[in-house]
Amino acid sequence: MIKTRALTKRFGSFTAVDDLTLNVRAGEIYGFLGPNGAGKTTTILMMLGVLKPTSGEMFLFNEEFSHRRLDLKQKIGVVPERHPAGMWKWITAREYLELFADLYRVSNFEDRVRHLLEKVNLLEVENKKISNFSRGMIQKLSIVRALLHEPDILFLDEPISGLDPMGIKMVRDLILFENREGRTIFISSHMLSEMEKICHRVAIISKGKLLAEATMDTLMLKAAKDRDIYIELEHIPGGLEEQFKRMDFVLDSYRDDNTLIVKVLKKGDYRKIIAKFLIDQNLIPLKMDEKFVTLEEAFTIITQDNVEKLVKNRGGT
Amino acid sequence: MNYGLHAVKTITRRRVLETLITPGFYIAASAGLFFGYILVAGFTGSIDSGGLTFSLNPVYSQISKILSSIFGNSFVEKLFSHGPFRFAFLVALLPVFCYLSSSSVYKFGFEKNVGALELLNYGPSNSFSFSLAFLLKDLFFSASFSLLLVIFFSISAFLNNFIIGSDFFIFVVMIFFLVVGVLSYGILSVSLTDNAASSLALFFGLLMFFSVVQIGSYAVTGEYVGNLSSAVSWVVRWFSPVFYWTVGIRAAEYGNVPLQLLSISLLIVLSVALLFMSRIALFVRGMR
Repeated sequence: MIKTRALTKRFGSFTAVDDLTLNVRAGEIYGFLGPNGAGKTTTILMMLGVLKPTSGEMFLFNEEFSHRRLDLKQKIGVVPERHPAGMWKWITAREYLELFADLYRVSNFEDRVRHLLEKVNLLEVENKKISNFSRGMIQKLSIVRALLHEPDILFLDEPISGLDPMGIKMVRDLILFENREGRTIFISSHMLSEMEKICHRVAIISKGKLLAEATMDTLMLKAAKDRDIYIELEHIPGGLEEQFKRMDFVLDSYRDDNTLIVKVLKKGDYRKIIAKFLIDQNLIPLKMDEKFVTLEEAFTIITQDNVEKLVKNRGGT
Repeated sequence: MNYGLHAVKTITRRRVLETLITPGFYIAASAGLFFGYILVAGFTGSIDSGGLTFSLNPVYSQISKILSSIFGNSFVEKLFSHGPFRFAFLVALLPVFCYLSSSSVYKFGFEKNVGALELLNYGPSNSFSFSLAFLLKDLFFSASFSLLLVIFFSISAFLNNFIIGSDFFIFVVMIFFLVVGVLSYGILSVSLTDNAASSLALFFGLLMFFSVVQIGSYAVTGEYVGNLSSAVSWVVRWFSPVFYWTVGIRAAEYGNVPLQLLSISLLIVLSVALLFMSRIALFVRGMR
C-alpha cells in the first residue's frame, strides 16, 4: 500500500533520512517511531510529496508517487503535527469542513460530517467559530477533516498530542473503527503506550536510519533479554520460588502478592512445562500471562547505539 | 473535471467570497470611485471658452503642476489631450489594485507561513492551484471594478459631451494585462520569502523599482527607459511589466497593432514565467 525504496534526504552535508525502505501493507495500522530529530517528519513530508527526496522512490497504491499525482493525493487523508488553526479561526467548524469537502468532492457531506463529528464529540459545536476551540478540539477537527473524503490511507503525525485522556480514547476508538472499515493507517507518535494498543506493525528509525520494522510481538521479542511469566495462584506455598529457580531455563523467580513472576530464557515457550509443574504440585493456576517488554522499553533498547549495532548485525529487523 | 482545475475553482470561489464579506474591497472601491468622480468633474470645470485651462480647477491645477515638474508640459498636454478618462481610470483603479494586491500577498504569505498551503497540498491541489486562485480572484475584482469604471465614465462622457474613444478601451485592456504581470510578481515574492511582512516588502520593493526607473528615466533624461543603455534599463526592459505596458500604450497611440499585440504577448509570457518560477521556488524552498 505504501512503499519507500532507499529514500534519502540530505540537507547540505546533513543526512536527515538515510536509505529508508519501508513497506506498509494494506489494512494495517503501522506505527512510525523514533526519537526527536530521527527524521520522522522529513520522511512523512517526502511520502506526501511536499519535500523532494535527494534520492529514492515512493510508491502509493503500487504506483510511483510524486507531488504531481493529484489523483493519488485524493485517496489519502493527512493529519499534520501542527495544524494551521490560526488560518481558519474566524470560520465555524462546519464551514472549515465544507471547504475541504468541496476540495475533495465529498458527495455525502451531511451524513459524513454528522457521523464523524459525533464520533469525536464535536457535533454540538459544529457551528461555533474555530477561534473558540481548544487545542484538543482542533486536533479532533483535523482528524475529522482528514477522514471526510473516506481516504484509503490515513497519515497521522502525532494525532493525540494535546488531547486529554477522554480525547485520546475517542481518537483511538475512531482510528480502530476506521481501520476496521478497511483504511490503512500510518501513524507517527511519541505516545508509545498508545501505539502499543493500536499498531499491528511498527518501524523504528533513529538518525534517519531504519533500525527495525516488525510486528509488535516480534519487535518486543527481539528487544527482550528474557520473558516474564505472571502466574496468579490462590496461594503461593513457601519455597515455590526456590523450586523454580532450580530449573535450568529459569533466570529468576519472585512473588508479588498472589502472583508468582517467573523470569525465563527468551528462546522457547516454557508455559506448558510450568503449568504441568504447578499441577503436579496440586496448584491450579488461575491466570497465566507472558510479557516480554513494553513497546517503550523495546524502543529504548533498540534506539540505544550499542543495541542498534546488535540489531543490525542480526539482520536489521 | 481535472483535479488541479477543480482545486483552482474551489479555492478561487472561497477567495472571492472572503473578499466579498470583508469591508476592505468596498472601502477601496468607494475611494476609487470618489477619486474618479473628482477627476472627471474637475476636468469639466477646467474647460472654458479658451479650451482646457488647468488653473480653473484647484485639483487639476495641482496635478498639472506636479506632473509638469516631473515630465514636462508636453507630457501633461498629451496625457489629457484624449480627455480626463485615462488618467482618472488609472487613479481610480489604484486604491483597488493596491488593496487587492497587498491583501493577497500578505494573506498568501501568512497562509504559507502558518502551514495552510502545506495542508492544502496534502490534498488534490498543489501550490500552482493555490497561486492561480489568488491571481484569478484579483483579476476577477480588478476586471469587475474596471467594468464599473468604464460604465461610470461612459455615462459621465455622455452627460458632459465628451467622447470616449477606442484608445480608452485599449488603455483599459492594457491595464488588465499590466495587473496580471504585477500580481505575478506578488506571487513570486511570497514564494521567495519566509513571512508575510517580507513578502509585502519584496513585492512593493520590486514595484517601486520598476516604477521609479520607468518614471525616473523619463523625468531625468527625457528618454524612455527602452532607449537607454545601462544595466538597470536592461533589467527593466526584460523583467518590468510596467515597461511592456508602456510599450503597448505607445504602440496603440501610433496605431502599431503588431507591436501592441507583441507587448501583450510578452506581458503574458512574463506572467507565466513568474508563476512557473514561483512554483519551482515553493517546491525547492518548501511550502512553509
